[in-house]
Order: sequence, then structure tokens, then C-alpha cells
Amino acid sequence: MSQDTTFKYSATVGIQHEEALLFERVHEAPSSIHLPGIDGDISAELSLFSRQQAAGIPGLSEPETVRHFVRMSQWNHGIETGFYPLGSCTMKYNPRVNELLVRLPGLAHIHPDQPEHTVQGALELLYELQGWLGEISGLPYVTLQPAAGAHGELTGLMMIRAALDARGDAHRRKVLVPDSAHGTNPASAALCGMHTVELKSGPDGRIDLDELKAHLDDDTAALMMTNPNTAGAFESDIKEICSLVHAAGALVYGDGANLNALVGVARPGDMGIDCLHINVHKTFSTPHGGGGPGGGPVAVNEELAPFLPVPRIEKNGNAYTLAHACETSVGPVLGTAGQIGVLLRAHAYIAAFGHEHLHRIAEDAVLNANYVLHRLQERYHVPFPGLCKHECLLTDEWQEKHGAKTLDIAKRLIDLGFHPMTIYFPLIVHGAMLIEPTETESRETLDAFCDAMLDIADACEAGATEMLHEAPVKPFRRRLDETQAARKPVLVWPVEQP
Amino acid sequence: MRFLPHTGSDRQAMLDSIGVSGMHDLFADIPSEFHVEKGSLKLADALSEAGIVRKFTRAAEKNHNASNSRYFLGGGTYHHFVPAAVDYVISRGEFLTAYTPYQPEISQGTLQALFEFQTMIARLTGMDVSNASMYEAATATAEAALMARRVTRKSRVLMAGSVNPRYRAVTANYLSRLDGEYAEVDMGAFGTDLDKVIAAMDEQTACVIVQYPDFYGSVYDLAPLHAACDANRCLMVVAFSDISAFALIESPGAMGADIAVGSGQSLGIPMGFGGPHLGLFTCKQKYVRQMPGRVCGMTSDANGKRGFVLTLSTREQHIRREKATSNICSNQGLMCTAAATYMTLMGDAGLATVARHSAAALQSLVSQLPAHVSAAAGAHYNETVLSFAGYAARERFLLATRNHDMFAGIPLEQIEAGVDTRHLLVATTEMIEEADITDFLAALEVSL
Repeated sequence: MSQDTTFKYSATVGIQHEEALLFERVHEAPSSIHLPGIDGDISAELSLFSRQQAAGIPGLSEPETVRHFVRMSQWNHGIETGFYPLGSCTMKYNPRVNELLVRLPGLAHIHPDQPEHTVQGALELLYELQGWLGEISGLPYVTLQPAAGAHGELTGLMMIRAALDARGDAHRRKVLVPDSAHGTNPASAALCGMHTVELKSGPDGRIDLDELKAHLDDDTAALMMTNPNTAGAFESDIKEICSLVHAAGALVYGDGANLNALVGVARPGDMGIDCLHINVHKTFSTPHGGGGPGGGPVAVNEELAPFLPVPRIEKNGNAYTLAHACETSVGPVLGTAGQIGVLLRAHAYIAAFGHEHLHRIAEDAVLNANYVLHRLQERYHVPFPGLCKHECLLTDEWQEKHGAKTLDIAKRLIDLGFHPMTIYFPLIVHGAMLIEPTETESRETLDAFCDAMLDIADACEAGATEMLHEAPVKPFRRRLDETQAARKPVLVWPVEQP
Repeated sequence: MRFLPHTGSDRQAMLDSIGVSGMHDLFADIPSEFHVEKGSLKLADALSEAGIVRKFTRAAEKNHNASNSRYFLGGGTYHHFVPAAVDYVISRGEFLTAYTPYQPEISQGTLQALFEFQTMIARLTGMDVSNASMYEAATATAEAALMARRVTRKSRVLMAGSVNPRYRAVTANYLSRLDGEYAEVDMGAFGTDLDKVIAAMDEQTACVIVQYPDFYGSVYDLAPLHAACDANRCLMVVAFSDISAFALIESPGAMGADIAVGSGQSLGIPMGFGGPHLGLFTCKQKYVRQMPGRVCGMTSDANGKRGFVLTLSTREQHIRREKATSNICSNQGLMCTAAATYMTLMGDAGLATVARHSAAALQSLVSQLPAHVSAAAGAHYNETVLSFAGYAARERFLLATRNHDMFAGIPLEQIEAGVDTRHLLVATTEMIEEADITDFLAALEVSL
């Protein structure tokens, strides 16, 4: 039985349906939907503005609609269908109970502007989450408002800018960003009216202290750093880095994208980070939804606290309130208090672990990444050797000699039943493959993935690279032409088809 | 711990094979002074699944909600009907637990849903193209202002004072750290006076932002503004808060909008205490390379079969870094799938019914108002401002409606700081029945 390889890799080809676009369906839309409400007259004034031509939304009956979307869903890979080791994305299992919780009528069907005394339960859960995020990050003052990580970056930089202005340092507008950083970091700085200077990473992929010193000056507002960095390595000089930045009169912004490596084990605030955004859709397991919604709460220290956005969720006696008035605030960054449903799921994830078990998130995440690294390091080039944190970085240096690149390796993984790792990021190594297994994967899954990676390495060495160039052959679509898509973009289906 | 698959012996075996003596060795690169003592964080005790359900249920039961109250609340968030099939589709793990579709071969479900979403949103708004969503309406409005500045290479942004104050505040906030002027045009009344807006335009103006229907629910002709924008080489940006309107009234595109942004929350997404909602971003085809955010495009695969990919990524932060059109990365992908499912269930006919019922409910209410309560004049879709004799009269009414399990409106000053405390922003949807109107009107008697 152990010789049978049928079950070694899970990818197979079963019933896969083609499914036309809605707009290609020929039959007339049914008018069967029965809607509630008042079937009365609209005002004469409004009638003057009546839409002259229907929009052209092709309705389907409910059974057809459900089948249409369920068939499409079956072309997707998700964390529930298989391993999803995207580095820097923290694709962990999304607990089903959290979906149930946010659909409770008392949480799903409440309006952001109904009187506060009628939403005390919701505010209580959010207030508790704020406190927990402050405790976990070591930065006690928290806003839940930012809608995603990049939005948190912008919010954090707004606060840093305001704090520097309050110090009388309004000329400080330079943000130092390591060359390994996420692209959102420089983009957020630009949106905040600041400019970035890129720090070249040292030979170990970490921040080079001399490079940092050379760029720290009287114009520097902040260093934006990700720790562990995007090569999966902890910046062990963190204390000195923060000291240097603070001594130069600047602040340290922490990109919390990699908080999964630290949660419950160590706190960015204790290390000297002044401001940290937390991607709850990474660390705290809220579903990615095919691109979002996310949530990017920001935790700050005492100096930055006066500048937190409004509204703020506060507790006065036994009552929870949304406080809008605050002169020092950087203002609102969103039309409401935040992506509440996402935040509530994060609350539930933390609650499930509690203070007793929270550190096990980071422990198992780091254990899994090191296990994968250990199993692959003899066969794939490791640009920065040593233990990693929650993700490990490989490159295609050894496979490229045989004619296979990172992209080919990634596409071959699809044929073997795995979502590829993050590829070509970080930019500081050639042909990067960044693997983040997360704490919710079993050893069995990790072994199957590593076996697949080793099989691919074998294939390269045996000269069987054609199979890699052809990959993927099993999915419903093969390699898609991105150049064609960008050259002449077709973003909508034309209104009239011949 | 139920989300962690390893047993103790798994962990030991893995540590052994890595060649370290214990878990602490894996964290040896973190200076010891920063190690947190296990279990010492001030968090709650771990809860079982049953315990979490109990905790959340108790919290939820403290909130008055749409299962036991009638909602006349709008201001950017609306209580429309959400068919069960919408929530089912977005609960499918394949949609719910997928990442951004960076590997298109195994993400065609998300991608085709996005393409259908983009097409339907473009059609409903009357615009050429839509992106694959923004966070919500306020940030979408801010991004529209930024895009208009890029397109026109001018820096002044002019905002009508009848745009939702929250969209205005977020836009002003986004622009406040960048060069260029931001100006608001005070309307002086609950409606949009385009003459005032047009008078405030100049040659440096990159865009004029208006809301249609405006924050007070007023519907008006954008043609004069369109002409004035063309004359000044300035973009007309139209914001909206309840997209259901455009199944009934002329779309922003038909009115000449260059960019139309707003909320898609009405398309099958619950109020959710303010989020996650759905930010929409649409524009004319010629500006597509200046759009923020992700966008899905049609292409073909290695076998020549039609397929979809994320495209125009050279605009985006992961390629262009500080020169990107926006810093946005995560968007509201799942909410796009919800909206696409909703629109498919509705079709043109269903969407028109939703809009007609929403408007008819307001008309029924306004046409029966007693003399001591006035409604703003002119055409309104499903939202208006009711004005009372004074604060006390309004509060007596609100108290009376609360006793009838009714949220009768938003005190206007709650969103628009500084206005008189005698106004109420009132919205209706197809969830309002005749009996609700009757109860609303009955309660108005106490405000005499």
C-alpha cells in the first residue's frame, strides 16, 4: 500500500464545467423575484429623472444563479481546499464558527448611526479587541478604523507626521524603507506627502546598520520596517536600530504583516517600535475573500496616542461610546469606525487561544517554516542561511542552471495540487520563492509539499524541464497571457455582441 | 487547541529533524529581554467554541437590530433585502478563503466573478469601466480626487457641500498632506446648488466632486455642471451612496461623469455596523491607466481558451512602489462576489423593483406628513431631511418611535456637525411596509 502513489499528491482532474459569462446566456431573464415593500407611485419630480434605458443586468433564476457561481467557485483554490503557502500573506485556516458569529442578527444587521445605547454589545466586543491588540503589540493605544494593511500604513504615517509636527519637526518628511519592504510602504509614504529613501539590505538580508546610519539625518521622519523581514529573518539588531532612529529624532514604523512570527512570544512595542499596523486578515485569521476585505488596526505608543483617528471607541463608566471630537486627531480615514465584521472575526480568533495559548500561534508557525526550510535546504538555494521565522526564502539559482525558473516551479506545484508560494518577492534576491506555511498546517501536509518540491528539483536535475515549462496542465486554464490583457485591456463585457 | 493540528510528538519529531533542542531555540534570534513570559499577556481566558458562541450571542442580543426593529436610517448605509443565496455563495470556502488571484490558473472563479462584477457595475452606473473595488465610499471619493489630479495635472479639488460629510472629511484628510488646494462649496440649504459650484470653479480646478443623489437625497440635473467642467478641462466626479438608485433614475454616466464612485453596500451586503461594505470606482475608458486599485481583464490561455487575469498591474504599488497610482492592496474582493451574485438574482427587473419600492416608500411618507413637519423640496430618491419645530419636538418623536421598535432617522448633526438640532435624515428601502409608514406618521403626532 505504501508503494501506491495515487494519494501522494492530491491534484486530479474530475468534472470541471465550462461556464459562460452571464452576458452570454441567451434566454430571457425571469421576473420571478418577489420583493417586499411598497408597490406605490414615485413622486412626479423624481419621474422627470427616470432612467431611459435599462442597465442591461442579465438576471437569472435562483437555481441558475447558484449553479453559475458554485461552478465558478470550483475553479478556485482556497485555504479550505488545500495548502496555500504564500509568503507574507499568512494563509491560515479561517474558523467556521467565526462566520456564524458575524452573521448573528445583532451584529450583522445593525446600522453605524443608530443610537449608541442600542449597540452596546457590538461596541463592547470591539473595545475588548482594541485592548487585546494593544497588549499583544506592546503598544497600548489602538485604532480599529483602517480597512486594510496599506490603509493602516497610511494612518500610522499620518500620526507620525502629526507627532513630528507637534515636536516642531515639520521639516522631517523623509521615510527610510529597506529594499526588501512591501511595495505598499513607499506608496503609503507618498500618499502621506512624504518621500522615501531606499536602504540597501546587508549581505544577510537584514538592515545594514551602517547603511541606516548613513541615511539618518535631520530630515528623517521615520524608518518603516518589517520584523521579521520579508526574507523571513528576525532583525536581531532591533534594539540598536530603534535607538539609532530615535537618537536621530525620527520614529520607527512597524509593518505588522509578519506579526504571526511574534504573536504571544515577543512584542514590537517592547523593542522600540513606535507604531505598528496589524493585518487581522493575516495574523488573526479573517478570510481573504479573493482579495479582501481586510482590516488594518494600528497600535501606537503614548506619544502618538493623541493623534489616533476618530471616531474612537471608548468606555465611560459602564457605557461604550464612539468619540468623534478630538482636536489633535489626524481625522477620519474611513467613512465608518472600521470593517466591523472582519474585526469581530479577529476577536474570536484571539478569544479561542486566550492568554494561555496565544504564543502557540507563533511557535507552530515558526516550527513549520523551519521544518520546510530544513527539508528543502539541501536541494534549493537558501540565500540567507540560518533559522527562519514564520516563512522561509529560497531561490531558483540551482534550478535555473537546468533551465527551470521560479515561475516554472510555481506552475508545476499547481499540477501537484498545491498553491504556489509567493514568487519574485522580496526583490532583493533573484528568483525568490517565499514560503509561509502557518500554524494551521499539519506535518503530513508539509511533508507532501516538501516531497513535491523535491520531486521538482529531481526533475530539473534529470533534465525533465519541459514538463515544468508546460505546467500547469491539470487546471481548467493553462498559463494566461498577461501581456495581451494589459496591452489592450478588456475590463467589461461589451454591451452589444454581434 | 483546535486550530493547531500538531500533537506533542509531532512537534518533538519536527524539532528533532530541524536539529534544535526545543521551541525556544527557534526564537533564539530574538534578544531574550524581549521574550514575553508564556501566558502573561493580559488577555481573556481561552474559550471553547461553545464559549465563544455564548459570548458573542450575549453581546449580539444587547444590540437592537433589523430582526426586531424597523430602519429609516441611511446616510451611506442602507437596510436593503439580502437574498439567502448571496450569503451562501460568499460562504463557499473557494470564494471565502482564497487569496488575491495572483495565480490565475487556479483563481478563475474569483476572476470571472470580478469580470462580471465590473461589467454590471459599469452598466448600472453608465460608466465605461469599473475596477475590482475600493474599501468603501469615503476612501473611493478621496481616490477619485487623487486620480483627477493625475489625469488633469492640476491640483485644485472642489467639493460640493452637499456631499456626505464623511466622504468630504476623508477626502480633505487624504489631500491635506499633498500640495494643492482643497475647497468646499457651502450650499446653505439641504440640496445641491450647481450655480454655486460652477461659480467656484477655476482653471486650476482638477475636478468637481458632487453627490448624486446628494447627501440629503436630492436628485438634480448634472447637465449644467457637465458643460462647465468641459469648458474648464476639469473632471466631473460623481459620488453616490445608494447605487440602487440607478435602476430607476439616470446614471452618473448618462449625466456625463468622468469618474463615478460610491457605495455598493446596497447590493446584497448587510449594514454590519458600518463594514465591511463595498467601495465602487468607475471611470471613462480613456482614464483607465490612472485608476487606483486592482482590475480584472479578459485574455486567453496557452491553449487559446478565454480566461481572466488581474491586469494593468504596472499602476500598482507592488510594481511602481512610491510612484503607484494608489497604495491600496487588499480590496473588498468578497463583497464584489456578493454584489455580482445579488445583481444576477435581481436582474434589471428586480433592481428596478428595489429602486421603485424604495422611492415609493419615501413618497408615501412625505406626501402624508403633517403640517408641523416639513420635508426638503424637489426630487428625492429614497432619502430626505425632515425638519421639526425644534430639538425638543424631534426628540419626542424619536423617543416615541423607539418605543415602537423603530429607528426613524439620523439626527442630522450626528453626521453634519454644526447644523441645527431639529433635522432628521430619513431613508427608506423596499424593507419598509405601509404599516411602518403608518406607525411613523402616528408617532409624529407627539412632535406637535
